[in-house]
Amino acid sequence: MQQFLDPVVLASISSMDLVARTVVDGFMAGLHRSPQFGFSQEFAEYRAYTPGDDLRHIDWNVFARTERMFLKRFHGDTNSQLLILLDASGSMSFKSGAVSKLDYARFLAASLSYMGSAQRDATGVIVFDDRVRNYIPPSSRQGQLVRVLHAIEAAQPGTTTDFSKPFLHFQQFLHRRGIVAVISDFYDDPDRVIGNIEPLRYHGNDVALFHVVDPVELEPKFTDPVVLEDMETKTTLEVSPEYANNEYRARFQRHIDALRTAAQRSGLDYTMMDTSRPLDQGLREYLTLRQRKM
Amino acid sequence: MGFLAPGILAGLIAIGLPVYLHLLRQHKTTPRPFSSLMFFERRVQSSIRHRRLKYRVLFALRALFVALLIFAFARPYLPFTSVAAAHGGRVIALLLDDSFSMRQDNRFQRAKQDALSVVNGMRPSDRAQLISFGGPTRLLTNLTADRSTLAAAVNGLEPADGASSYAEVARAIRSLTQSSKTAVEAHLFSDMQKTSAPANFADLKLPDGAQLVVHAVADSAIPNFAVENVIAPRRIFSAKTGTVQATIVSYSDKDATRRVTLLINHHSIETKPVVVPAGGRATVEFTGIDVPYGLNPCEVDIDSADAFPEDDHFYFAVERSDPAPALFLHEQNDNRGFVYFQTALAAVNQPAFSLQNASYAQAASSSLDRYAFVVLSEPAGIPHGLEDALHRYVEHGGSLFVVLGPASTGRVPVADLVVAEGNSSPRDGGFNFVARVDSTHPALRSSTHWDSVRFYRTESVQPGAARVLLSLDDGRPLLLERAIGEGRVIVLASALNNIENDLPVHPVFIPFVQQTTGYLGHTESATGNYVAGAFYDLHPSDTQTDAPVEVTGPHNARLLSLSESTRARTLPLEQEGFYDIRRQNGRHELAAVNPDRRESDFTVLPPQTIQLWRNTGNGNRGVENDSDGGRGGNELWWWVLLAALAVAVAESVLGNRHLDLKEGT
Repeated sequence: MQQFLDPVVLASISSMDLVARTVVDGFMAGLHRSPQFGFSQEFAEYRAYTPGDDLRHIDWNVFARTERMFLKRFHGDTNSQLLILLDASGSMSFKSGAVSKLDYARFLAASLSYMGSAQRDATGVIVFDDRVRNYIPPSSRQGQLVRVLHAIEAAQPGTTTDFSKPFLHFQQFLHRRGIVAVISDFYDDPDRVIGNIEPLRYHGNDVALFHVVDPVELEPKFTDPVVLEDMETKTTLEVSPEYANNEYRARFQRHIDALRTAAQRSGLDYTMMDTSRPLDQGLREYLTLRQRKM
Repeated sequence: MGFLAPGILAGLIAIGLPVYLHLLRQHKTTPRPFSSLMFFERRVQSSIRHRRLKYRVLFALRALFVALLIFAFARPYLPFTSVAAAHGGRVIALLLDDSFSMRQDNRFQRAKQDALSVVNGMRPSDRAQLISFGGPTRLLTNLTADRSTLAAAVNGLEPADGASSYAEVARAIRSLTQSSKTAVEAHLFSDMQKTSAPANFADLKLPDGAQLVVHAVADSAIPNFAVENVIAPRRIFSAKTGTVQATIVSYSDKDATRRVTLLINHHSIETKPVVVPAGGRATVEFTGIDVPYGLNPCEVDIDSADAFPEDDHFYFAVERSDPAPALFLHEQNDNRGFVYFQTALAAVNQPAFSLQNASYAQAASSSLDRYAFVVLSEPAGIPHGLEDALHRYVEHGGSLFVVLGPASTGRVPVADLVVAEGNSSPRDGGFNFVARVDSTHPALRSSTHWDSVRFYRTESVQPGAARVLLSLDDGRPLLLERAIGEGRVIVLASALNNIENDLPVHPVFIPFVQQTTGYLGHTESATGNYVAGAFYDLHPSDTQTDAPVEVTGPHNARLLSLSESTRARTLPLEQEGFYDIRRQNGRHELAAVNPDRRESDFTVLPPQTIQLWRNTGNGNRGVENDSDGGRGGNELWWWVLLAALAVAVAESVLGNRHLDLKEGT
């Protein structure tokens, strides 16, 4: 089943719904009913109805007996919200193989939404670059998964990455606690990135940073001097192989380390996603966060 | 600067290779998209610039190497004119014609006057060399700026009897150009005879930059008559049997009658008139001439009625003698070979030799010195005394003809050649035939059809130091010659008895015997006519000898010193007249020398031809193709190749540094 999580295999599947289903089903089948992971339908507790609760969760049998409305809660749906922040900036369109970073990010976002939807979480997505491109508010209503997947599939590379404006915008919509998955290549100053994302954490959200990285970005292999063009700013620069092999790698690694450190310091989960590797690491990260919420 | 092979310069296109490697391959200008440049800094560019600079040096070295290599193969040279300009002065060649024709009137005096004028006109920085070419080219002075030396050399020069050649003039100019490394200004003082020009105009090619100034002392032909040639027997063996035929040539446009006189020993014998057609030839024949015994200087004269009487006589020599005795030695009971040999020798009208036969035992006590040559037929165990006498006879100039037979085993007498045993006959009982003939040898010069002669038995002689004249098809030598002292020994490895071979009954036998005996008896060179400038062979053999040769020249002067008389190999016959040559063994020879009769034709070279000749030194710069390997200047390819080597080393060092950098990164 591992092969179905291979991004190269997923790239050959045209439907994002099918991609998500393939990934999640394959992933879950590989868990072998782990006691720690998985969504459960076991009864957890009854909670008194308060205005605003979804009427679909009222246990009408208890109401019939007691004429009081209680909500029946299960372990599997104690969380209620998964918001995916998908970076669709120009740099996300970079690819050295068959799958670009944006493709990989879409697979991951679709898989997370599918998994969240299967656990009846309210799932939403925000596509952004230097501003919000698309926003599907979290919801667990019928058809939400289709809307989310459509938004994810329609995400196209935009301009530059700017976390400040979109994240200021997000905070206006996030009123419920939940899980926030930020999928981006984080081409910005780590402190500024964390500084913009950190307020989400204050609202009681669990924030997971999925850092999508292409293998060539990690270890560029140039044999001759090349002229590189920034995919976001369109600026060009001549690069020698010596610099790319030494100085650049060190600087990029420092960037990753700084991002991870800053995330940990702010209580954010950081996961680096190599586009040449399967998606299970991302899904496992989500389930870990969800377990923590239980 | 010029190039001897300019076509190779097209190879400069090869410089495109480093251009491609450095500019097109290295400098890819198409930008490659990358997600973000936030981890690249502007200072990276300066690093690349630095590296590019180093690559540019590498590129320059590589391009320079390719260019130098191509330049070297294009053979660059500096024209001599450039060298001369750097040197400052002129190099002048004074080429003075002292040939026989310059004796006409005052031509030579005028030529000398012209030469002196040029010498007097020399600047202090100029250098000149006086060269005469009436016959072999002679350098009369070194290249000098001393005008008095040059003037003295010019004044001391007298006309000779040789023939001039303008090809030799051109060769002398090329040689001087090569040695002086500069362009030569050549002044030619000559009567510009047409007959002095070579048949091939390319032989007149002057080196690049050479300037030819012609000082002609004659501008038109003059009518002339000359005795062109005389055909006379070299030897007469009986009275009133000689016939002399003289050819009179006319270089005039009118018919003329000339009186032709035959002189023997400076006495007029007979005079005949002859009508010589305009521009043609006439022949006069004197028959039944009688000459006294001995060597007789003879001469054919015509009456002097033209402007050049020097060519109105022709010298030749005739010897009156009895046939020279020759000795044929054989075993007591075998004279078959003698019969065949004597028959062949007597097959001509006047045999030059009277052949006597004797057995080895009879000849043991006789003196051999009076024989022109001795034949040893099938020698086997000849008396030691006889062999010693034969050895002395040959060393003092005698000639020996050894005919080997079945009994001749061990070694060849006198010649000291080894005769091998056991393989003297073909294995299958058949025969051998002659496979190789040295037709350059006088004994075989005109004998042909050797291949039809069958040799059933042939002794196997190991040639050693001898010269092989005939070889059989199995590689064994058949006829050999060995020089011993002043004399010569010819060895025939098969008998003449018509048993071991059928040579005596073949047509080739008579010319073979005639030529071999003529060669052995020295009748070929006893007397003869020579053209002035030829060389006379004083010591034919290659061995060192102390036997002196006394030579008396045309003016009764001894031409050789005592040491020269024993060591000189050849004698140049430069003067017209008779050369009297006496050898230690009593042989007396008389050589008659006449100037080359081409000198009697005073037709001058057309001015157009002279102009063409002068132009060969000015045009076609940079392309020299003369047979002497002369070149139009100082070739630089060697230095260019050295520079290319240095650049290659520098490129290698720099390239290795770049490689190290790459590997280190």
